[in-house]
Amino acid sequence: MIKRFAKRFRNTLLCAMAMGMGLHLSCAYASLSPTEILRKADEARGNAEGVEWRIDIRSVERGREQHRTLRVRARSFNSLAEFLAPPNVKGQKLLMLDRNMWFAKPGLSKPVPISPRQKLIGGAANGDIASTNYAGDYNIVKTSEDMVNGEKCYLFDLKASDNRATYDRILYWISIERLVGLKAEFYTVSGKMFKTAVFEYKNSVKIGGKPREFISRMVITSALIKNDVTTMNYGRVVIRKIPDSVFNLNLLTR
Amino acid sequence: MRMTLSKRLHVFIIFVFLAGVLLQPAPVLSAEDDGSGSPEIRKLAEVFRFDLRILSYGVLQQPSDSSQNPGNNFLEIPRYTGNMEFRPDLTLKTDPLDLMVKPRLHLEYRVWEEGSREGTGDWDNDLYVNEWLARWRARENLFVSYGRENLQWGPSFLFSPSNPFFLDNGRRNPYVEVPGMDFGRVIWIPDSTWTVSFIANTDEGRNDINLPGPFERAYALKMDYQGREGYGSLILTHRENAENSLGFFGGLTLSDAVLVYVEGAMIRGVYALYPQADHSPFGASMERIHADDSSAQPVILVGSSYTFAEGGTFTGEYAHYSPGYGGAEADRYYALRRNAAAALSYGGPISGLGELTLGHTINTGLRLLRRNYALLQYNRNNINDCIDLTCRWTQNLDDWSGQLTVLGSYIFGDHIQLFTVGTLNEGSDDTEFGGFLDYQCMIGLQYTF
Repeated sequence: MIKRFAKRFRNTLLCAMAMGMGLHLSCAYASLSPTEILRKADEARGNAEGVEWRIDIRSVERGREQHRTLRVRARSFNSLAEFLAPPNVKGQKLLMLDRNMWFAKPGLSKPVPISPRQKLIGGAANGDIASTNYAGDYNIVKTSEDMVNGEKCYLFDLKASDNRATYDRILYWISIERLVGLKAEFYTVSGKMFKTAVFEYKNSVKIGGKPREFISRMVITSALIKNDVTTMNYGRVVIRKIPDSVFNLNLLTR
Repeated sequence: MRMTLSKRLHVFIIFVFLAGVLLQPAPVLSAEDDGSGSPEIRKLAEVFRFDLRILSYGVLQQPSDSSQNPGNNFLEIPRYTGNMEFRPDLTLKTDPLDLMVKPRLHLEYRVWEEGSREGTGDWDNDLYVNEWLARWRARENLFVSYGRENLQWGPSFLFSPSNPFFLDNGRRNPYVEVPGMDFGRVIWIPDSTWTVSFIANTDEGRNDINLPGPFERAYALKMDYQGREGYGSLILTHRENAENSLGFFGGLTLSDAVLVYVEGAMIRGVYALYPQADHSPFGASMERIHADDSSAQPVILVGSSYTFAEGGTFTGEYAHYSPGYGGAEADRYYALRRNAAAALSYGGPISGLGELTLGHTINTGLRLLRRNYALLQYNRNNINDCIDLTCRWTQNLDDWSGQLTVLGSYIFGDHIQLFTVGTLNEGSDDTEFGGFLDYQCMIGLQYTF
């Protein structure tokens, strides 16, 4: 009980400190708090009302090349990924209901509960294909400014708000001008960096009637083996309302 | 369905021809992936889906010389089988109506090395529809369906006590399909958190070998909760002229690596066979003595899994199954089996009674024979992005027999998968896992179009 209170107090303190620092952030969006900036960056990698996209994943791991094509439908904390190609994995489904995940495939009688830590393919974990919710899953510990490919960025130091998040700590570079995440470093509980990711935003969607840059590519590189690279290309992005039935376990396998 | 060899060949040729014809749209439909193709083709690709898997596999198994199957003369289990299965799945999604059908063709050649059929071999084939479904979306949150389904739920590996319809949850060997049963379902999804289903099990369908008595219709009301912290379900079931039960399951994702879950049921009236001492020639017979019991029998399974940083997942389960046989009942059961087995060689009416009794002892209607079980499993998928591996040990904690199962698969390219399922049973003849097979090894190839 005391431990839980201490954890909450620590998190609240960290948030308050980060918000205090946010008052000094300089940019066109200076009126936004750090949490609002993080939420804007999340918007470019998912949407609370509903988004559908195709992800083409190509991975090179220990010299072996693999590819997957997925159709992902996501809304708020839930997402459903259906494997479209290659034929060997066609029809497999990954249902993520917040942190609860289920895997189903043709021939398997019932969906299997799985953990977010389980690997999807190459360097991509199951949690990587879902709609991003860093603002909900992580606390902002520290903010500063840095450059990525000549672009001025906020550098957010994010700590998992609870032990259900996919990563323990993330360093996240968000473009000051565009409010989209450009780069991330992912760390284990022991403090060791185990992968990095860079993001591109060549897709465009309308959110609230206004055009908005949307993620088009995520490249994940292993920190341990530099040649292990997983590239996720995002296409056919459609913002639309996704009904509850899409994320329903009773309708998953048929 | 039994057919002559020539008819069988005709069916096979027609089936392959149809598969070939149906596969023709595949490259056209793939145009949908890159957004090209005519609008009609793209529209068709959005609503129609055809998947075909062809499995070719062999099975090597050693029948136990036990009281259930003395000299392999009762069950007549073949030593070797060669199999080919065609498994097309056809789906048409035309909002608000979805249609699905899964016809199957199974060709099998069997060779016997033990028992009365020693040294012989024969062909068998089966052409059937394992599952089909018609589902109508009455409203955005209301679905009505009827069809033949393999309706499974719950997080457990060992067995699924919350499911009142199927004894087999399909986890032991994922390459063998569980036969479908006929269900009518109404699913109402009031919001993202709650789901209410009414399920009517109207016919045994193809699942006609798992009950010791005639099929009885069953009706269930299922309530599901899906929350941020976890999930849970309650299943209230009434079976005509048989038991009522309250099933449940739930689980929590404690961290990105740790899952915990529970599954169980309270069963009133057990529709299974128990050894009952009497004045029959074997001193006992199998009777449905608990069918009208008013007290509830609990079944509970608890489990947890941990995923290591390298990707492997370790799972542990413990199950207590109250309807299973206690020590005295088990002793009576095995004594009855031994007496019935001995009677097989006597000839005459007593031999017939022996056969009838062994028919009851092999199919008691219980999901598990005894009361306490443990399961340990290590599973790792996508090793080098091509190998899936599962090692599972199931321990009967009452008679201390056990079963080791190893599932492995290796992916070649985009279409071919090499798979193997190995089972090694440990225990004496008078134990649950030692009474049927000493070992079984299945190895094969699956081609997915």
